[in-house]
Amino acid sequence: MTLPIRKLADAFTETAIDEEVVVMSLASGDFFTLEHTARAIWLLIDGTRDRAAVLAALEADYGPEVDADEVDAFLASLTVAGFVAA
Amino acid sequence: MSAMPPGPREMLALLARETQVRAGPLMTALDGVAVLPGEQRLADGRYLLVGRSGFSCFYRKGEGVLLGGYSPEHAGELALYLVGSVHAAVACLNGLLPIHASAVAAGGQAIAFTAPSGGGKSTLVTGLGDLGMPLFCDDTLVLHLGAPDAVHALPGHKRVKLWPEAMALTGREPLELVSPDYPKYYATPTAGDVAEPLPLGALVFLREGPEPGWRRLSGGEAIAAFADDHYTRKLFDAANPHSRAERFALHARIARQVPMFEFTRPLQPARFRECCAFLAGRIAAITGP
Repeated sequence: MTLPIRKLADAFTETAIDEEVVVMSLASGDFFTLEHTARAIWLLIDGTRDRAAVLAALEADYGPEVDADEVDAFLASLTVAGFVAA
Repeated sequence: MSAMPPGPREMLALLARETQVRAGPLMTALDGVAVLPGEQRLADGRYLLVGRSGFSCFYRKGEGVLLGGYSPEHAGELALYLVGSVHAAVACLNGLLPIHASAVAAGGQAIAFTAPSGGGKSTLVTGLGDLGMPLFCDDTLVLHLGAPDAVHALPGHKRVKLWPEAMALTGREPLELVSPDYPKYYATPTAGDVAEPLPLGALVFLREGPEPGWRRLSGGEAIAAFADDHYTRKLFDAANPHSRAERFALHARIARQVPMFEFTRPLQPARFRECCAFLAGRIAAITGP
């Protein structure tokens, strides 16, 4: 069992517009637009789910064709941006 | 019990009062900081602009605009400032948000067009005027954000300012020069103008492209495009200090409440009317019943 993934709320601000979530880094002012699976992953990160639970929830919604490597890459990019930590 | 915030009509009336000009002293510094000819400064709720020809426009909330060191030979330059920089600064100091846009009225809404200087905003609204859409403002659009559920636009100008090429393109005669330092000419809109505030129905970003095209911006694109308008940003930030997160929240709110589009069109003069007709069709589609 890995550690739950949690958002680092002091690092960003976010807003939902239509089917997107737009996240802005408070440090740099850079925007990240999250759609489709990326948006779903972002919404699943609630401080209780670990990587496996996020993947399982995604598969429940999108089916077994969810690419685990892409999920890992996205989670890594969120970590690098400083938005999440485990 | 808290008082209702002033609505768009009240703010339009306030803006008209606050931009009234009366004679005052010549000023060349604000808070001990020199303001050189052609520059402006806003600090601690006060604003000073020094014209290129040396006169000054000073504004403090509730006092109108004090004009110092002015002589009538600079009437063109003064008029330009009063509808541009001074107007925007007074708006900012009264909680309004000016943006760099020209607009027409259609279907009971304001449809605004934004582009860098020289990007064709005034020319386009003149062309749309020929298709029956009244002028709402030219070059500076003032937004009222006091109502939580909608963005309203305040009408601003009765005439557009066009470069001589744009005069020819739109079939106007260059009658009145704006200013010797700014050789645009005033033109009167064919479909008249608007005196009442209207909900902002769309904000359209103008781009050049090989063919006319129209595309709705996604949420992230809209926020990024709106944030890229630097025309009055410094004034607004100085008048309304806010954090990066607060600015993002403001831009996000506007992006949620105002549909934003990209209008791509070729700039060849021979295709101007075709592009205006294309655009009028898209505007009718978003404002129609």
